[in-house]
Amino acid sequence: MAPIVIVGGGLAGATAAGSLRDRGYEGDVVVIGEEPVPPYERPPLSKEYLRGESGHQLVRPAEWYRDNAVDARLGVRAERVHAAERAIELADGERVPFDQVVIATGARNRRIDLPGRDLPGVLDLRFAHDADAIREAAARGTKAVLVGMGFIGAEVAASLRHLGLDVTVVEFFSTPLERVLGPQLGGAIEALHRDHGVEMIFGDAAERFDGDGRFETLVTREGRRVEGDFAVVGVGVEPVTEVAAHGDVPVDGGIPVDATLRTSVDAVWAIGDVARHDHPVFGPIRVEHFDNALKMGDHVAANLLGANAAFDDPHWFWSDQYDAEIQMAGFATGWDQTVIRGSVEERAFTAFLLDGGRLLSVFSMNRKHDVRRSMPLIGMRHLDPAQLADAELDLRRLRPPKG
Amino acid sequence: MADWVNVGSAGEIADGELSSYSAGERQIAIANVDGTLYAFDDLCTHQQCSLAEGELEDTTVECPCHGSRFDIRTGQAVNGPASDPVDVFEVREQDAELQVLLDE
Repeated sequence: MAPIVIVGGGLAGATAAGSLRDRGYEGDVVVIGEEPVPPYERPPLSKEYLRGESGHQLVRPAEWYRDNAVDARLGVRAERVHAAERAIELADGERVPFDQVVIATGARNRRIDLPGRDLPGVLDLRFAHDADAIREAAARGTKAVLVGMGFIGAEVAASLRHLGLDVTVVEFFSTPLERVLGPQLGGAIEALHRDHGVEMIFGDAAERFDGDGRFETLVTREGRRVEGDFAVVGVGVEPVTEVAAHGDVPVDGGIPVDATLRTSVDAVWAIGDVARHDHPVFGPIRVEHFDNALKMGDHVAANLLGANAAFDDPHWFWSDQYDAEIQMAGFATGWDQTVIRGSVEERAFTAFLLDGGRLLSVFSMNRKHDVRRSMPLIGMRHLDPAQLADAELDLRRLRPPKG
Repeated sequence: MADWVNVGSAGEIADGELSSYSAGERQIAIANVDGTLYAFDDLCTHQQCSLAEGELEDTTVECPCHGSRFDIRTGQAVNGPASDPVDVFEVREQDAELQVLLDE
């Protein structure tokens, strides 16, 4: 039988391969990864790795692939999936046959095509070598300019402050993470960073990067000139869908998959950041977090082996910034009620985001039990806001009875 | 040479509960699952968060910081960012004492 081929050498793809073996699958498995290194974990790249406190964190040890007869073809780019012919075409024209294929090509940083974007010293963060470049720039410089304050921007700001640099961030919205968290919770993130000495400019955006052969100044739309030794751009990501689009697998804001992670094309699956998943609770969503990649990798392995189960994880992630432990679960693009448990001022709180009485998402800062404990509540209606707000109440008591 | 070390009192961990105890240099978590006690290193092998502050579900514990899940019978990491196992220890209630078996 032709192998199960996994296209993509990130966390999702490597976890799928690992889980196939862990689950006892003995057939051929091929992993095609564009990066020339064994799959590694990206969360440390904006935190411990960037601060020089940890090295590479591999998903599986480098020798695991050989020891488990997984053909890891690293530094190899897959060009397109020919689903009808059950083959992957590689960049050099070679065709790799498959019985089933899992597309796990992830996401890439969104490019902003502004004058000076290609100047040395204008950096971004996706890969380990990007983190190396930021770390080297931080070692040489004293002042960093960040464009964008989503989770990556916020974590990079925290790490650079930790390394002693002056940090100025320019963010288009009125608070950090406003689109994800709304202005109230975004304000709590802003206060955290302000207390740690980050200078933040909101409601403005990059216009061009100036410098004599190297980045020196960010010029904003409002005409501000922000000087620095280097700049880091973090304005979101987009799914890497070419392998599907150039082949015969449909693409629509990612690679659409049903609840079980199957595409509409026979024998083709998609997982991780690239998958636009028809989530049983939230509807079609594309999720760009570590835990999702890990869980989808494991889940697709089970389904490849016949489980045929819907993936209904409520989604969860963490973001450590300074000494603040931030966690979030669920998914909400709009909500009409925010219930706070604890104290936003004291930065020990949990926020429940509800829409029409239905709990969609939970965010916490320095109350690390709350998010995990309320994950089984996500999607529920008829929760009592007074109970959610009661910091003394054990959230596990609100769970629906088992069975 | 392994020795039984007193860390607490017999019966003090209720069913479904999890507590952390100091034993010499180590911090050890002990869980009660349906009347059976399990002892394991309290520090997650990912980033050293206290597992005793995590969530106990059947015979697994989930780290409160980053979601790593360990089988508390074997110490194996079964899920999440951690890949190295946590140490597990024998645990017993002897007379009025809660004890774990530690190497000197």
